[in-house]
Amino acid sequence: MENDILLSVENLTVCYGKDVALQIESPILIEEGDRIGIIGSNGAGKSTFVKSILGLVNYQGSIRTRLTMDQIATHMQSNEYTDSMATKYIMEAILQTRISRSQKLQELIQYFEFEDCLRKKYSKLSGGQKQRFTIIMVMMQDAPLTIYDEVTSGLDFETRQRLVEKMVSWYRDRDSSLCIVSHYYEELEQLANKLLILDKGRVIDYGKKEELFRKYCGRAVIILNHSGEKEMLFQSYKKLASPAHLIALPCETEEKEREIISLLLAHNMDYTRSTTDIEMIYSNAKKCGGQQ
Amino acid sequence: MNGKKRQIITKYMISYEFRNVTGNPFVHIFGIGMPIFMAILISRIAVSEVSDAAVTRTISTTVFLGIGAMIPMATVLMGYAVRQAQDFEKGIPERMRLFGIRDCVTICNRAVSELIFMAAAFVLYFLAGILFMDLEVPVFSGIVLYILCILFFSILCFILGHAIAALAKRFSVTYCIVMMVYFALMILGGMMGISYESMPAAMQAAAKLLPVTYFNKDFITIWTGGNYNFVPMVQSYLFFGAAAGILLFIASRRRVRGI
Repeated sequence: MENDILLSVENLTVCYGKDVALQIESPILIEEGDRIGIIGSNGAGKSTFVKSILGLVNYQGSIRTRLTMDQIATHMQSNEYTDSMATKYIMEAILQTRISRSQKLQELIQYFEFEDCLRKKYSKLSGGQKQRFTIIMVMMQDAPLTIYDEVTSGLDFETRQRLVEKMVSWYRDRDSSLCIVSHYYEELEQLANKLLILDKGRVIDYGKKEELFRKYCGRAVIILNHSGEKEMLFQSYKKLASPAHLIALPCETEEKEREIISLLLAHNMDYTRSTTDIEMIYSNAKKCGGQQ
Repeated sequence: MNGKKRQIITKYMISYEFRNVTGNPFVHIFGIGMPIFMAILISRIAVSEVSDAAVTRTISTTVFLGIGAMIPMATVLMGYAVRQAQDFEKGIPERMRLFGIRDCVTICNRAVSELIFMAAAFVLYFLAGILFMDLEVPVFSGIVLYILCILFFSILCFILGHAIAALAKRFSVTYCIVMMVYFALMILGGMMGISYESMPAAMQAAAKLLPVTYFNKDFITIWTGGNYNFVPMVQSYLFFGAAAGILLFIASRRRVRGI
């Protein structure tokens, strides 16, 4: 296994009873420094992929890694702890250190504003506090590969944003590799540099975000909120697959882009321009099933 | 943490597990309060019409030694099994494994914590016995054998408790099963008012297979250094151990097969 490859998955099949939950044929390589966003709708196989890597489900095929299990830190979708004691003691037992003796742990607790929660029992924490509790311990592991499985699910918008901001800032100057399962594409815009797109247990595509964008969306995309007027205005233009509330116009050339923008300005219409929009990548990759 | 080999028993894990043990209010009630209360109450009732001081002392000591077996039954069999099932239900062992804490680490630290709590419970029990009961002074071998027998019985309760929790996997089911086992052991062990001699033959046959019976029935002889045939008692330990071991084997097979 090459030095910069942390983990490789090939010819993987995971079945739950008679149903095939995940089937990966072409190799998926996770390299050092990769920040992989794993996306797909419910039942796509995202969590199954994570569980396979962690050996939590039976699978056929090959998962090769030079990492030992304690070099993979994981934040699962649901993380439960004992309720017999304050979170401080759980943290100290898991991390094998006293909080007062670990500068790094104190910094993380402060960074995630968890000081007031240390004396509370786990069940008394709010959803966001519970997530932060596990994140602190996962980050303390300082593992070469860290997996976050829907870390912000169930949190309100503000808590979610604050948590992601903290994570983005924490990992900005670090070289640890990440696998992030999420339904919130805006989080992955900030955290991921690669995407693994899954659908119904199959890999639609895997690669660098920018490359996938170019493959499925072209040079740039102008995104508008859907309206009848805009539909009429751009009826002769080529459109990309997009959610029903949006219109996505591909800009293959700069001239084309200028033409669209001029038209939008002339009609005083709002728009967004993107060269990395994950929602567009996902919609179009899914539409053509990875073949383009 | 990363790259550092985790020791099996550490002060942080012991402290964590000990908090887990003491965080369960039932072990304080059933593991400390109830044995002390029952030993004092039952011995008082039993000796109320006896005038001979020597007989009174023998009866009190018999009750005291028998009721003492309730401590491992409540703290280890019931307390541990229920907590373990609660953990299984919540997926805590899986979460711990993801943090690099292997099951054997959890179990070893849990066993040591249970032992510490049980030792503390016995200290309180003996203090109460010395203060409030008129007990026979034991011979040295008597007290050593009592400690050893309680220790072996506790280990078997630990195995049985773990097996029941691993098989049931749910708090409610485990609680129901261990409560039934607990009361069955109490009744057959002669702690609920029916002595071994007053039991019907079928009950006697079952009681003979349980170590608790011997704490109640015979331990006064060992305590005072009398002649005692250990074979039936050893057989009861072997039977109880085999039953617990078989259940544990089934539970571990089920786990391997992912059931």
